Amino acid sequence: MKRLYDSGAWAHRALGGLLPALLLLLWLTAAETGMVAPYLLPHPKDVLATAASYVFGHGGQAGFAGRFMDDFTASITRVMLGFGLAVLVGLPLGILSGRLALANRLLGTTINALRAVPGISWLPLALVWFGIGLKTTVFLVALAAFFPIYLNAEAGARQVNPTLLRAGAMMGVRRLRGTFAILLPAAMPNIITGLRLGLGISWAYLVLGELTGVHNGLGAVIMDARMLGRIDVIMVGIIFIAVIGRLCDVGLHHMLRFAFKSARRLP
Amino acid sequence: MKPKLKIVSSQKGAPAARAILEVEGLSKGFATNTNGAGRILVLNDVGLTVRKGEMICIVGRSGCGKSTLLNILAGFLSPDRGCVRLGGRPVDRPAPDRCVVFQEDALFPWLTVRENIAFGLKVRAMSRQEKEREVDRFLALVGLTEFGSYLPAEISGGMKQRVALARVLILQPEVLLMDEPFAALDAQTREEMQDLLLHLWAKLAHSIVFVTHDVGEAVLLADRVLLFEKAPGRVKEEIAIDLPRPREKDTERYYALCRAITSQMKRA
Repeated sequence: MKRLYDSGAWAHRALGGLLPALLLLLWLTAAETGMVAPYLLPHPKDVLATAASYVFGHGGQAGFAGRFMDDFTASITRVMLGFGLAVLVGLPLGILSGRLALANRLLGTTINALRAVPGISWLPLALVWFGIGLKTTVFLVALAAFFPIYLNAEAGARQVNPTLLRAGAMMGVRRLRGTFAILLPAAMPNIITGLRLGLGISWAYLVLGELTGVHNGLGAVIMDARMLGRIDVIMVGIIFIAVIGRLCDVGLHHMLRFAFKSARRLP
Repeated sequence: MKPKLKIVSSQKGAPAARAILEVEGLSKGFATNTNGAGRILVLNDVGLTVRKGEMICIVGRSGCGKSTLLNILAGFLSPDRGCVRLGGRPVDRPAPDRCVVFQEDALFPWLTVRENIAFGLKVRAMSRQEKEREVDRFLALVGLTEFGSYLPAEISGGMKQRVALARVLILQPEVLLMDEPFAALDAQTREEMQDLLLHLWAKLAHSIVFVTHDVGEAVLLADRVLLFEKAPGRVKEEIAIDLPRPREKDTERYYALCRAITSQMKRA
């Protein structure tokens, strides 16, 4: 892929960093000129210092220093478990509903009704069922990620060009192999969309799950910081979640492209 | 001079001695609304026979049920009445012994030209080298040796139909079913494809059922033309094309046959 090294391609890629750079500039201006009080919006260099202390553990105040690795490990584990569970259940059910009218009838009503329930309504119930901690968070993440994964897989499977399936059948492909050799690749664009949306929403619900008194995790840090009025730590938490969420998205995309021809060769 | 048209009764059918594909009393209706209250009859008592190595063209206006017939022959649809037999065995599901070249682009877009052609071989008991050699042979037969690594989105419509032809010919079907395969191509490409098909047919000697609405195409290709009647579809006329091969388009006999069939078609 020679094109990646063209200057045009680099400029194109750098475009994605333009908006964050502008926001940072705006933030810097607001802090430098004193337009916004520091207790509402701390100076970027203070936030940077807090971030450094949060990650590397020197300087800063006790309580947050050096917590990052622990929080990160806890959060990513919860996200991956919840997201993995959602994929495991959502993808097969979605494909099934997209292909079999019977499955769609059976599942559609229930799933679309549950979909209307805001995730936060599940929180009290999850707390009663699973207590505070890993299980509740994983439950919330899995529940939230399930819907986009299911719905997109269903749409993808339903919209597969029937001629492709007929072509497979006439070339001697039976049902099971056809599912993997034709149906999944043909539905891949929708499946990818569903997985990316699902992973994105996983991070949102992770924080929701961690706001309820767990002792570690990126959401817990934000909650702790709120209690202590540490707005700089809150901002560090938000920025870390944004960056890690984006990296996860890119990672997922790369992984899919690595594993599947149909993802690699999307038009 | 008026050309001599051999009109054979469609009811009697050809002698079954060397028949490879036999269709008898085929009827098919579709529900006009979802609860199945109204039904329209698309095919009514269709009978035909294809002999081994023969190319027949089914000609008719759009909506006369010729695509439905092909879908039944392929095993994609099941008839309400009647039966289809291939080499004496009844046909009830799609299988590689009856392969279809579709009108629309039906290649797998995530596979290269090579991988598309090799697709049907995957389930065959052949060594890897044997498969590679077969793919090479068929790539060369359709003139796409240079394009093996291209994706369908990167090649022209004519080339896509060449790939579609190669991926089914490689499976050595007993009958090749073609559903207006060149209808979406420009005139020049269509002529190239017709030449290619005739060339491959001479070489590989498949039996072919070719559906088209283009009378000129049918007269150029077919041993026999079956003229389809509309609503409900059935074989109205069977016309043997006795033009010597290779056929020239620009001859009096060719035009006379085209004219005769076209006027029959208008009355259909």
